[in-house]
Amino acid sequence: MTTQSLATKHRQPRKARGLGSGRGLALLFVAPSVLLVGLLMYTPMVQAFIESLHATAFLSPQPEFVGLEHYRNMLRDDTFWRVVRNSVTWTLAVVLFQNLLGLASAVLLNQNLPGQGVVRTLVLLPWVLPGVVTALLWRFMYDPQLGLVNSLLLSSGLINSATGWLAEPNTAMAAVILAAVWKGFPFSMVIFLAALQGVDEQQLEAAQLDGANPWQRFIHVTIPSMSAIIRLNLLLTTIFTFNYFDMIWVTTRGGPLDSTHIFPTEIFELGFGQGRFGEAAAYGIVSVLLLAAFAILYLRELTQDA
Amino acid sequence: MTTSTMKMKRSRPTSTRRRKRGQLALTLFLQAVLLLIVLLPFFWMLSVSLKPASEPFAIPARLWPENPTLVNYQTAFYPEFRRYFFNSTLVSLATMAISISVGLLAAYSFSRFRVRGFKVLLVAIILAQMFPVATMIIPIYKIMRRFSLLDTYPALILAYITITLPVAIWMLLGFIGNIPKELEESALVEGATRLQAFWRIAVPLARPGIAATAVWIAVVTWQEFIFALAFTSSREMRTVSVGISDFIGQYGIRYGELMASSVMVSLPIMVVFFFLQRQFVAGLTAGASKG
Repeated sequence: MTTQSLATKHRQPRKARGLGSGRGLALLFVAPSVLLVGLLMYTPMVQAFIESLHATAFLSPQPEFVGLEHYRNMLRDDTFWRVVRNSVTWTLAVVLFQNLLGLASAVLLNQNLPGQGVVRTLVLLPWVLPGVVTALLWRFMYDPQLGLVNSLLLSSGLINSATGWLAEPNTAMAAVILAAVWKGFPFSMVIFLAALQGVDEQQLEAAQLDGANPWQRFIHVTIPSMSAIIRLNLLLTTIFTFNYFDMIWVTTRGGPLDSTHIFPTEIFELGFGQGRFGEAAAYGIVSVLLLAAFAILYLRELTQDA
Repeated sequence: MTTSTMKMKRSRPTSTRRRKRGQLALTLFLQAVLLLIVLLPFFWMLSVSLKPASEPFAIPARLWPENPTLVNYQTAFYPEFRRYFFNSTLVSLATMAISISVGLLAAYSFSRFRVRGFKVLLVAIILAQMFPVATMIIPIYKIMRRFSLLDTYPALILAYITITLPVAIWMLLGFIGNIPKELEESALVEGATRLQAFWRIAVPLARPGIAATAVWIAVVTWQEFIFALAFTSSREMRTVSVGISDFIGQYGIRYGELMASSVMVSLPIMVVFFFLQRQFVAGLTAGASKG
């Protein structure tokens, strides 16, 4: 059911007798939505582009046209490239680990054992926890003096002195990635569990009779029959993770030394932190361009049959 | 091939059974590990929220407080925090009401009417679903400033609609598309008006879909953070997701109260999850590009 609602393809009727007529009512019905989406989403998108061609500051509130200067400066700026690198690392790592762990736990929990329903529900809990709460909880987990992570690692002898996982430029990114994977993998698991239940039992049995071991059956039967869902899941989690603001903002604010700044956090910092709206808008437009390919692929998956 | 495996099976029945049992043990062990990884942070959150200030944090940390107390909850539920709860509830419900009613009309129209240009409009709406919030937030901020809406409920509600409306239309379209048209058509033959066919037949049948969409909107708006952070400046207008950071001071974090308020903020969503699990999962997987 979940896969169905995730990948619902909307079929429109070939012929709609009687029901299909009534243009006036039809337009009246869509008008509020079209107005809201147009005014609140398309207008801001266009304005973001216009903004990116202007310079504004708290001191000179009158915007001044500067053309592509922000973009030119950006490409020469180390900070920009650091944000690009961080965004790629963050997105790739979270998407990869979240989906691998999600797939593994889906296989692990796809059993006919008593109490599996309860286990599945419990494993979903990180996904249910509000984003800001999750981020605060992990900030606490990583606290050098009071956090559970150091406490466990110190008492088990794996480390010798307390480490500020979020305060060190070397470890901060890995730490936020781990927290995001913890939060995100149950989502992937839900989707994969539904897909696993749709795998053809007869094909699996046939492969078994042909002498395929469990691993071979998984690789050659299960995975191919899930490929559409896996593709959709990768697209979805990529778009979502790239835009994921709460976790990093609450745990590190992009620090230390910009080591965890990704596009959304950098845009927020530039815009609302420093009042450099033009530069922030330029970052915003670049992030749209970077996401465009994924968005178009996702759109195609959704509207294939429509 | 087949016969040989069958023969092998017959010749070594005990080893197969032993392997089966080994597999089961491994499965259960791995499930236990997974549960531990998932539940330990929750346990820790709950434990710290119940820890009295007299029990200092120490390494190695005690997993469960010696004298659990609700005093952190009492402190955390101060008047401002109640206000945050009220604000979040109000903004969530208003966003839900607008998105569902407006979205339902659009979804119905897209599903039932054949009008030129509708397909383009629909694709435009779904495309908008993928506009990054971070890119739109500054222009939307400026629009709100121009209309003097900053730090008001309408600013948050309108901003949240940009997150919820396109997804809601898409979700409702899926559900309405699955309702057979014949019922409405025969109602029309029997003399009902188009509006009656919509309101008396399509809407009641779409109820499960409306519920899943509503649950998704409630869950997403309850925890929305970036708009709430940028558009509210006074304490009176803050929502829970922003107000929860009150316990993070310049010189330290009051973790006991912070975890207690975290539990309280999470509770409504947990309740929805446990009682409406089907709608919760259906809604949140359908709206996955927005969390």
